[in-house]
Amino acid sequence: MLEKLVNGFESFLFRHRGWVITLFALLTVFLGYQASQLKMDAAFVKNIPLNHSYMQTYLKHQKDFGGANSIMVAVEDTRGNIFNPEFFDALKNVHDQLFFIPGVDRAQVKSIYSPSTRFTEVVEDGFAGGPVIPSEFVNDAQGLEIVRDNIEKAGIVGRLIAEDYSAAMVSAQLMDFDPQTNAPLDTIAFAAKLESELRGKFETDTIKVHIIGFAKMAGDVADGAKGVVLFFLIAIAITAVMVFLFSRSLVLTLLPLACSLIAVVWQLGLLTVVGFGLDPMSILVPFLVFAIGVSHGVQIINAVRQRVLDGQATKAAAASAFRSLLVPGGVALLSDTVGFITLLAIDIGIIRELAISASLGVAVIIFTNLILLPVVISFFDIKTKEDAGRAERAQAFWKPFSVFANLKVAVVVVLATLGLYGLGLKGAADMKIGDLQGGAPALHADSRYNQDTFFITDHFSITTDVMTVIVEAFPEACTYHDVLERIGEFEWQVGNTVGVESTASLASVARKVNAGFNEGNPKWEVLPRNTASLVQAVGQIPTTSGLLNADCSVMPVYFFLKDHKAETIEHVIAKSKAVAEKLNTDKVQFKLASGPVGVMAATNEAVAEAQTPMMLYVYGAVFVLCLLSFRSLRATVAVILPLYVVSTLAQALMAKLEIGLAVSTLPVIALGVGIGVDYGIYILSTMAVKLRDGMAVQQAYLEALQERGSAVIFTGLTLAIGVSTWFFSALKFQMDMGILLTFMFLVNMLGAIIILPALTALFWPKRR
Amino acid sequence: MLLRKFLPLACIPLLGSVALADEPARDQLQPNAPQSLLLDITRAGDALVAVGERGHVLIGKDAIWQQVATPSASQLTKVFFLDDKLGWAVGHDATILHTDDGGLSWVKQFEAPSRERPFMDVLFTSASDGMAIGAYGLFFTTNDGGKNWQEAFHDELLGEEDAAYLNELKETDPEGYALEKASLLPHFNRIIRLDDGRLLMVGELGLVAVSSDGGARFSRVNFDYDGSMFNAIEAHGKVFVMGLRGHAFAAGLGLDDWQQLSLPVESSINGALVSSKGGLYLVGNAGVVLAVNDNAEAELVARRQGENLLAGAEDKQGRIWLVGAKGVFALDSAQTK
Repeated sequence: MLEKLVNGFESFLFRHRGWVITLFALLTVFLGYQASQLKMDAAFVKNIPLNHSYMQTYLKHQKDFGGANSIMVAVEDTRGNIFNPEFFDALKNVHDQLFFIPGVDRAQVKSIYSPSTRFTEVVEDGFAGGPVIPSEFVNDAQGLEIVRDNIEKAGIVGRLIAEDYSAAMVSAQLMDFDPQTNAPLDTIAFAAKLESELRGKFETDTIKVHIIGFAKMAGDVADGAKGVVLFFLIAIAITAVMVFLFSRSLVLTLLPLACSLIAVVWQLGLLTVVGFGLDPMSILVPFLVFAIGVSHGVQIINAVRQRVLDGQATKAAAASAFRSLLVPGGVALLSDTVGFITLLAIDIGIIRELAISASLGVAVIIFTNLILLPVVISFFDIKTKEDAGRAERAQAFWKPFSVFANLKVAVVVVLATLGLYGLGLKGAADMKIGDLQGGAPALHADSRYNQDTFFITDHFSITTDVMTVIVEAFPEACTYHDVLERIGEFEWQVGNTVGVESTASLASVARKVNAGFNEGNPKWEVLPRNTASLVQAVGQIPTTSGLLNADCSVMPVYFFLKDHKAETIEHVIAKSKAVAEKLNTDKVQFKLASGPVGVMAATNEAVAEAQTPMMLYVYGAVFVLCLLSFRSLRATVAVILPLYVVSTLAQALMAKLEIGLAVSTLPVIALGVGIGVDYGIYILSTMAVKLRDGMAVQQAYLEALQERGSAVIFTGLTLAIGVSTWFFSALKFQMDMGILLTFMFLVNMLGAIIILPALTALFWPKRR
Repeated sequence: MLLRKFLPLACIPLLGSVALADEPARDQLQPNAPQSLLLDITRAGDALVAVGERGHVLIGKDAIWQQVATPSASQLTKVFFLDDKLGWAVGHDATILHTDDGGLSWVKQFEAPSRERPFMDVLFTSASDGMAIGAYGLFFTTNDGGKNWQEAFHDELLGEEDAAYLNELKETDPEGYALEKASLLPHFNRIIRLDDGRLLMVGELGLVAVSSDGGARFSRVNFDYDGSMFNAIEAHGKVFVMGLRGHAFAAGLGLDDWQQLSLPVESSINGALVSSKGGLYLVGNAGVVLAVNDNAEAELVARRQGENLLAGAEDKQGRIWLVGAKGVFALDSAQTK
């Protein structure tokens, strides 16, 4: 029945070739226009699993305490000492400039220049205090000496001033929406502003500006992503050469490339149509679409060429190639699409976007390369030199490969595969969730951004790697000794976890203020049991400190971590959970977790949770599709087992190369399986027919190789070359994805021509 | 909380833990204890013993620091050793801890959280006789090695007006009398035994007082600065007192010729020690470490930026260790100003 349908479709298409081409041309113009409207887009909320309980905590208290979307600007004097007029001018300029960049929450810009940065000191008759930079500040030696004293008294060394006095910090919170236009903050434009308005304007020989924070990272990633265009061109060039070597025909080289590019245009255009931008994280999708398009295009031209060589006219050859490849190609592409759609199960916006844009892209290949390509080819007259010995040569070439379908060899292959699988399983157990390197994992360690990150972590006791645990209590809770004591105890116990550099909470600050009320005597650094004294101490701490809300029913505890490696986060989160459980009461609840590390922890947990279901879905989908097209359980298992072994090996590779399972690498497994299955489907779809006709396994395999083997190997190489250009990307995550995808594509290809026939030989043991 | 109100003020050790039953679950031994707030350090035999926040006690031997468990989570402000073994530590919630094995294990001798005031110092003149002093004139004595503690009220240290006011209240308003009595005296910050056996006590509002009868009665000496004094030490044949905002004074043993030292800093001076080589060191807020020579001239020798320093002691090898806001460290590792 399916065959009838395909035949009917074929005669319809090839009878209306002109209309088909016109329709495709119109669609391409329309989607091409849409694609030209595509914008880069990197919103913060897309990167977080919004439904995770941590993120609920984060969203609930974001208004009071700012969120995880902060920016830090460290202004460094390269001579090593900030106390000179030139530096203080620069610092003031940076503070003022940052204040005025749209998108910055002005109430939360913090540096020694903010009026809320105050010191208090004890004098004989009580307290004295004021802003660290007094209103009558004169930027000269004398003025700086006063500021230097005030900095000491204010206890801000390590936070707003570098521990070695070589730099000062200006920090700010960003708003998710522009308050004037109500439009979402354009993170990438904001990052460009930081570069031009801060670094561009104020960096000199002696003043260095270090900028870190999500927005800056997203900007740098977007900049790095632009380099992708070059890789794209290189990939096209290499692919063109390869296709030419394969087809020995200019027309058969240009047509699949052109159709694949059309697929890319459609995919980008459809993104605009469905209302997405191009996120730097999913900028690799067009590559994949192109590479997958070419690989299927090659199957078509291979089929056409063989038929032309067999003496058919080009048009008949094209129609016949269309007939024979629509089903296996369609199934293969559908399983790719389904493979990508399974990523929707992961509750992280950016992965969902990737899922949608990639599945769209792969789905359009069905139209551009399985339908348009043969139709276009049919207009040409493909001339190939009569090549008498071709069939014999092909047979001679493929003959050695066919032994994999020999039962004895097959047993060896399967045993070896089992051994490999065992090793892979052992290695895969070491695979870590999350980011394994310090700094921004999307970027290389020697990138400016990560260098800035390392500078700030080295010179300040704070970092952007902050985890915030929110204490939810009752109104006026901070006037109760036992509540604050409990918070202090939580802070102290979790603060003792490896990986926590420093901590802050209302409890620890109130202790210090109490010492202040007692002549600055550190022996009074306690939470007074006397309610009046406690209220007096807490009353000194403004809500702008971020340590309490207006009625002090909510009080965050901040943990500054040494980095955000998966291990560090896991450790600190586990300890926080344990201590919270111990200290939670009906009225005082310790809620995990906000701050950038809270976000990362939630992301890591979401990724870890998504991993198994995603694999189940992707394998389930591939299984069902194979079963439908082969109508044979044995054939289906023979296709899927090698894929599974390769997935496991890929995980072991990740462990070996210290690539963590993160937002950027999680999709790779699904992509790898989705695309890897293509090889098996192409080979087995030919074999299955022959096996059904009663042919011996080894012979069926040899014939399948002669028909499609070269296209399969070629496809594997094309895909691998396309993604291997990413090794040279300025972006670390692209490099990781490139390595993993190259591995998946190549090894899956080997699996299809080595393990698959061996399994077939075992499953059809009587066909010898 | 209710429970605590009905507890007798003088607690036996076991009851102390009951009083803290509603406190959050503790986990006292923590890796960061050596880097957290420590308030005093002293020598006990071969080891150094430091005390600090959350009832922390650390033992330092051969430059290695080890935390030991204590039956208290209250901040400990002072530690005193009579000999290699017998020691006492005091602190907030009117806590008194005792050790008889050089600081390795501790028992609680006294605690009174509801008094809402800390002990600031403890001094024993023999294995049986001792006193613990603290905020608002807190003064407890023992003559059985700390098994029982009795409160004393040093009304002789009240100002004339305060004394008269209190006397009047005693007649007319017994309740008000009790309340006022509990807060009229200045904080007693430090008590030391001079070489001649007299006791010198310093405290809030320029309190410098001396006792020749083992602490039964004190008399103020003639001293005309009225800021708080946090510490006192006998060195170079003189008596030094020191405290708020860089104020330090020296007098001969007659205690009547106080001369202010000219210090190069304005930070409060919290601690003092005399090294085995005879050098006098003062430490204080903002991380200052001063050396004072025989002529009472002070020089800044080291500074730990932004880190209040509380006390110092010399170990067996002659190395000086200081404690403060960020724990314990050796003076020779401190960054010089």
